[in-house]
Amino acid sequence: MYRNMNKDTDKNTRRGGVGGWFLAMARVFRREFSLVFSDLGIILFFFVLPLAYPVTYTLIYNPEIVTDLPVAVVDHSRTADSRALVQAASAAPSIQIYAQCADMAEAKELFASNKVFAIIEIPADYARKIGRGEQATVPMYFDVSLLLRYRALLSSVTDLQMKLTQEITGTRLETMGASALGIDGGLPVNSHNSFLGDPGQGFASFVMPGVFILILQQSMVLGICMIAGSSKERRRLNGGIDPRTINGVPASATIWGKTLCYMVLYLPSVLYVVKVLPEMFALPHSGAAVDYLLFLVPLMLGSAMFGQALSGLCTERESCFIVVVFTSIIFLFLSGLTWPRYAMNQFWIWLGNLVPATWGVEGFIRINSNAATLAETAHPFHMLWILAAGYFIVAWGVQSYVERYYRRNYAIAA
Amino acid sequence: MTDLGFWSTARRECRRMASRKMYLFMMVVVPVAIFLFFTGLLSPGLPLRVPTAIVDLDHTPMSRKVTRSLNAGELVNISEHLESYTDAMASVRRGDIFGFFVIPPKFEKDVLSGKKPTLEYYTNLTYFVPGTLSFKGFKTVSVTTAAGVVSAQMSAMGLTPDMVSAMIQPVDVQEHPIGNPWLNYSIYLSPSFCFGALALMIMLSTCFCISMEIKNDTSRQWLAGAHGHITVALAGKLLPHFVVWSVMGQFMLSLLFCWQHFPCGNLPALCLAMELFIIGCMAMGVLFCSIVPNPRLSMTLSALIGILTFSFVGFSFPVQNMYGPIAIFSYLVPCRYMFLIYIFTGLNAFPVYYSRLYFVALLLFPLICSLLIRRLRNACLNPVYVP
Repeated sequence: MYRNMNKDTDKNTRRGGVGGWFLAMARVFRREFSLVFSDLGIILFFFVLPLAYPVTYTLIYNPEIVTDLPVAVVDHSRTADSRALVQAASAAPSIQIYAQCADMAEAKELFASNKVFAIIEIPADYARKIGRGEQATVPMYFDVSLLLRYRALLSSVTDLQMKLTQEITGTRLETMGASALGIDGGLPVNSHNSFLGDPGQGFASFVMPGVFILILQQSMVLGICMIAGSSKERRRLNGGIDPRTINGVPASATIWGKTLCYMVLYLPSVLYVVKVLPEMFALPHSGAAVDYLLFLVPLMLGSAMFGQALSGLCTERESCFIVVVFTSIIFLFLSGLTWPRYAMNQFWIWLGNLVPATWGVEGFIRINSNAATLAETAHPFHMLWILAAGYFIVAWGVQSYVERYYRRNYAIAA
Repeated sequence: MTDLGFWSTARRECRRMASRKMYLFMMVVVPVAIFLFFTGLLSPGLPLRVPTAIVDLDHTPMSRKVTRSLNAGELVNISEHLESYTDAMASVRRGDIFGFFVIPPKFEKDVLSGKKPTLEYYTNLTYFVPGTLSFKGFKTVSVTTAAGVVSAQMSAMGLTPDMVSAMIQPVDVQEHPIGNPWLNYSIYLSPSFCFGALALMIMLSTCFCISMEIKNDTSRQWLAGAHGHITVALAGKLLPHFVVWSVMGQFMLSLLFCWQHFPCGNLPALCLAMELFIIGCMAMGVLFCSIVPNPRLSMTLSALIGILTFSFVGFSFPVQNMYGPIAIFSYLVPCRYMFLIYIFTGLNAFPVYYSRLYFVALLLFPLICSLLIRRLRNACLNPVYVP
């Protein structure tokens, strides 16, 4: 091992200039492969994580929509009209009438025991008001611990209300003889809505394309930080130098050699995550392959540089868990996937701007789900290149600092 | 009382914690940063005034009135006036707007002549929250526009305003969201994500502090300090951690429910649940270390389960609607029970009676973990570090 290292150093000091730089980079590139493949921890991060994690995640969310939510009904009216209302409600896709309760206390008991997620209370004067041509009010109580559930129930209730309006108003107008006046039940203006990007309103279809990008970035950063931590452990054991890396080459050559190695290693994972998985789970996938693949080049480059910049914080193999894992949650939010970026204050927007995945998520979703072209995602694409360049400079500083720090502290003759 | 080595083990752990900056980072800096992140980021409550566009192909007083009423609501903000569907779609693809509303040509003329024109609106659901909000805004305006026309016609027929509203909406379903009537996104999301983040960091730090003994070959010394009793050794070692995490947990609760004034029916019960939750998460960490007494693998398990917790515990997608074999996993982590206790006693303010089983479930985690600690003891006596 030590002999190897000395040979490498000698070879490198013999050649200078641009050719020497490329040679040094090529040697770092080759050495990095053996470093990755000889370490089970890195293999887990670089290959198993992008392979298995997105599948697990998608399986969790794969039911896509929330249906058949149990609802309790308290019918104080007990008339044909109120029964028609309950019948119409039970026909809605997200509502399942769990129980007809005698009073509110019974319904509340069901609500508190987690048996139902909403209560419909039909007042005693419901049928009377319908018969008299007045407006009947029906209070409905929702559990809002999960907004997805509330959203599903609410949209069913809105549809129910529209359906009742058409039926009841139609009958009322007929009895008034209004059809003779040219008014025929329905509203004078129709409306039609379309959902873009995720036409089925599915949860996995919405969240997964963004999470895929985040998994690609985070798994790479975790792996890079573990490589850096292991290298520092070896430095401490071997008097300040890491016998398993190529020593004595310019910091920039080390960074580029490593980066190119990681990008080559990630090629199959990237293709699998952005091409195979969306087709496997029937997620939105309408972008052109050439657009999203080109878009992912600066993302992966930026992630590799970002990882090497962050790796300065990892002094031990296991530090990466503590330094990197929790950032996944923060990066997920900063990307604007769940909370839109226009509603964040300037500080969070700026912090988000500094994370490659923020731009990666934004651009990839637009290409993948909204079928945007690369030209239409020019802004995130440019930002990714700028971040890659910026983090290269940071990584350079970190790499040079680490070299100098261990040389000084372990007193190696330079 | 004989000295079991409990206090000396605890003192030893305090010295270990003070000797590494890593402990300060993972037990104080990260949790506080995450708590402040969620409460700060989501503080507006709802991302109102979603950027949207109007495509007015009619250009009449009536179509301009529709535009004005769209912009007057709090849900959408007309940030672009475009001239065609194609332009609007391009704007959606560029990410400038989250939806658009199309008023067809000859809209006013068709309305007045009873030809029933169609208002079309498009919302981009690749971003769920702004997509849903703009959908709601568009739908409201399309319905009220129609209702406005009908009420004008009916008033002309001689109907009173009461009769008109009874005609337009004979059944009014009044929505009462319990616990969070403002539908505040922060109230919905911040507590559950803070619980998840806390669980993740507790499991990681517990695995870190135990498995590092094995890595650094100090595990024999640790056990010897407790006279070879793994239970005493663990209790002594984890006591300082428990104290720090309790402070963090109570700080989190005070941040959310006292400083941010999130609705909370029963704060003392939640504080108690927090302590049990912390013990449960530490037990999970000990369990991982017992299964794989190795720093990398035990922390991989913590990270894997800690991150997946955010999904399968059902903070956003309900567990009841997940596939059965996956939904089972949600009941294997303490976070699920903490979340349910918060929902029932905190948000919905039901008596603690209804969450009694969740409290019991939290107590089961240390019991389950105690089944495997003999394995950890053996690993500590013969420490093998696998990189």
